[in-house]
Order: sequence, then C-alpha cells, then structure tokens
Amino acid sequence: MNYALEIEHLSKQYGSFRLDDVSLAVPGGTIMGLIGENGAGKSTTIKCILNLIRRDSGTIRVLGMDNLREERAVKEQIGVVLDECTFHETLRACEVGKILSRIYRRWDSACFEDYLRKFGLPRDKTIKEYSKGMKMKLSIASALSARPRLLILDEATGGLDPVVRDEILDEFLAFIQEETHAILISSHITSDLEKVADYVTYLHKGKVAVQGAKDELLDTYGRLVCARSDLAAVDPALLAGKRVSQFGCEALIKDRRAFCRRYPQLTVDPVTLEEIMLFTVKGDASCAD
Amino acid sequence: MRGLICKDFFVMKKQLGYYLAFFVVYGVLAVTGVFPASILSALVAVIAMMVPMSSIAYDDQAHWGRYAAATPAGRSGVVAAKYLFTLLVLAACAVLVAVLAAILSLTGLLTEPLADLLAAVGACMGVAMVMDAILLPLLFRFGAEKSRTISMIFFIVIFGGCMLLGKLAQQQGGLPRPPAWLANALPALLAILAVGTFVLSYWIAQGIYEKKEL
Repeated sequence: MNYALEIEHLSKQYGSFRLDDVSLAVPGGTIMGLIGENGAGKSTTIKCILNLIRRDSGTIRVLGMDNLREERAVKEQIGVVLDECTFHETLRACEVGKILSRIYRRWDSACFEDYLRKFGLPRDKTIKEYSKGMKMKLSIASALSARPRLLILDEATGGLDPVVRDEILDEFLAFIQEETHAILISSHITSDLEKVADYVTYLHKGKVAVQGAKDELLDTYGRLVCARSDLAAVDPALLAGKRVSQFGCEALIKDRRAFCRRYPQLTVDPVTLEEIMLFTVKGDASCAD
Repeated sequence: MRGLICKDFFVMKKQLGYYLAFFVVYGVLAVTGVFPASILSALVAVIAMMVPMSSIAYDDQAHWGRYAAATPAGRSGVVAAKYLFTLLVLAACAVLVAVLAAILSLTGLLTEPLADLLAAVGACMGVAMVMDAILLPLLFRFGAEKSRTISMIFFIVIFGGCMLLGKLAQQQGGLPRPPAWLANALPALLAILAVGTFVLSYWIAQGIYEKKEL
C-alpha cells in the first residue's frame, strides 16, 4: 500500500505538555480524521509535519520523502489550510493568486479562477470584506490550486455553517478520487468526519487513544445504557469509559460483539465518534478520581 | 521567494504611495527653504527603517509567517524575501531622491551642490543599511510589536546623536578635519561597512528564524 503520510514515534515536549509516541499512516486515496479535545496535540502534530516546530524524535515521511531532508520537494506536494485565513486583509483574491503562482511550481491559475467562481468569491474585493466562510473557502481554493497530492487541514471547518461545510466536504471527496491524493483533516466536528473520513486517529493528552478505520471503529465500539447494578456486574476490562448519573449509567464498550455474547441481557447501541471521545475523556477523569 | 516579495509590494502598496507623497512634499519644502535639501536624504534612512518594520507588523497581524513557512518557500525564503524587499525599497528611495535632487539642482531650484546632495544620499543609504542590519534580526526574533520599543530607542539615539554632533560641530567651528586618506576612503569604508553588516545580519536572521517555533 502506498502511504501519502507516515508518522512514526513522533514526540515533542512543550513545557508541561508532551506529544508522546504518535504514529499514524494515511494511505493514498483516503481521508484521515484527526480528532481530540482542545490541547490534545492535533495542531502540534500538524505543525511537526509542516516543520513549523521542531520535533524531539520520530520520523515523518510525506509521499515517501523525509519531511526535513527534502523539505522543499515535500512542501510542493502539500496544500495547507490552517485554522484561520492567513492572507493579509488588504489583499484581493486575484493578488493571492499572483503571489501563490510565484511560490508553487505546480500552481494552476485556471483551477484557482474556477474555484473562485464555484465558491462565489469576488476577485476584486479585499479579504477584509469577506465573511469567515469566504475566507476559509479562499484558503481551500488556494490549497487545491497548488495541485497538491496531500491536503492538510487544521480545524479548517470550525465556525462555518452546515451549508458551507457540506460544500467543502464535497470538494474533499472529489479531491481523493485520485488514488495518489490524500487528506489529513483535524476537526472538532466529528459529524463531518463521520461523513467523509476513511480512517480516524483520536489523540488524547498527547497520545494516540483510538485509531483505525472509521467504519470499523463505529462497528466495534458500542454504548451501553444500564442501571448501576448492571454496570457493577460488568467486567471493567470490557469498558473504555463510563458516565454515572443519578438516573443511570452509560459506558463505552470496546468490542460490541464480544460484549453482547457475554452479556446478552444488556443492550449495546451504536456509537458516534463524539461519544468515543467523550467516554474516553470521562473514563480518564474517573481513573484520576 | 519571488511570490513573497510580490506579496510585500501588494500589501505595502498604499504605504509606499504615502512615502512617495512624503518625498514630493519634502521636496517642495526643501525648494521653498523650509528644510535643507539634505532632509530628502534623511527620509531615505527613515523610510528604510519603517518599511521592514511595517511589513513584518502586517505579516504578524495576518499570522502569515506560519503559512509562508509551510509553503515551498520555507523559512529561509521568508527571511531572504524580506531582506531583498528591504534592499529594493531602499534602492528605489535612493534612486528617487537622487533623481529628484538632480532635477531640482539642475533647474536651479536648489542651491546646494549636486555632488554634496548625491553624497548625502549615498551616506544615508549606507546608514540605512546598517540600521536595517540591526533591526531585521530583532524583528524576526521578537516580532514587530516587541521590536518597536527597541527600534524607537535606536532611532532616537542615531538621529539625536547626529543632530547633537552637528550642533557641537557648529559651536566649535566645525568637526576636526580627518586625514586626507581617511576622507578619501570614507565612502568606500562606509559602503563596505554597510554591505558587510547587512550580509552578516542576513545570516544571523536566517539562524534565528530557522530555530523559531511558528
């Protein structure tokens, strides 16, 4: 299998926070969702890929190239969308195109103009006059027009309305139709990732907590809703986290099928990525207690 | 790198227009005798100091540095482009002032000898290069906001010092004459100092930005 991105044993210390032994791989033709609560290490991971910060250890390969030794060649293949529009507010879309055409060797001006038309972005208005959604669309148009093979998005869809997000997700799905293309997208909006992601990596406190094919994860994990007495009877090794309230208990089950075979009297429901995250955090909190 | 220089010109075009207007206004003031013609040369140094600071301030405001470093231009391209942009603006200002001085002098609107005016332009260009050589690494290290205080102090010391020196020289009937060989070599020495410090500054800034966490 050809991987667009391979990260092995990545570590980075930032004061009291440590990104610890993170490994992930994004196969060509797929979308990997990177999820995690605030401060989990998603942006740190992305910054290490882009060499915006120095990693302490580990290796990162983009399209088979080392991201440090072949930095320029790697960056020619990466389209970047950060969590905010980083173009100066006095610039116009047409000027952004002129600037980036002189930075990226594979820049496609016709493609950029097409995206401006498709996204309804006025060429001659300053970016200051754009809405937040328009600024993000401009960032995405810029990233895609560089004809990258790997698209990296860091919280790019946060703060956008569902209509704009849907439009953007469609563009991502079109992008990965090419087998040599891949996307790494970090997002809090797990529902978006459930729509488009093929793989998911969940970072929790700097470590990989859960990782795998999205469909497989959603099929494997389950949500148990039961009374306290029932939960007390369950083997804790089968649980990945729990929430106990005065009305009842909920728990995250690691292997839904195995659990149902062992406890056929208990009902396990399908789970969402958001619930996997919540239960993992709650599980961590209850251990700390 | 060409794209980054292009970006600086697009972002700064309004400001560069204002500076052009300054030259015209101060040119008129020099012709009318409100200021000596050397004010135009001093403007070269002032603008050369303000342009990189404003440019980096705009970049900091837009968080452009992160994005630019993530493009194929990389960190080294960001630094190289900024130094080249500064040089281009400095050269353009110097040429503009030289042409303006030549026109005003040849039309008899300015009484100062043209050679003195052009020498002043050259000297101010050299001083500006040395000032930028000190400023740019600070800007890359600390950003525009934090460097502003340091640069203001620097500006006051340099220009205040020059004005004080001028006043002292006037009171004492002129500065002591340097030896003839030094007076002849001064332009070349200033040029070597200016270029040397600018090149050294470039390598220092590359080292600073290479290690900076963005």
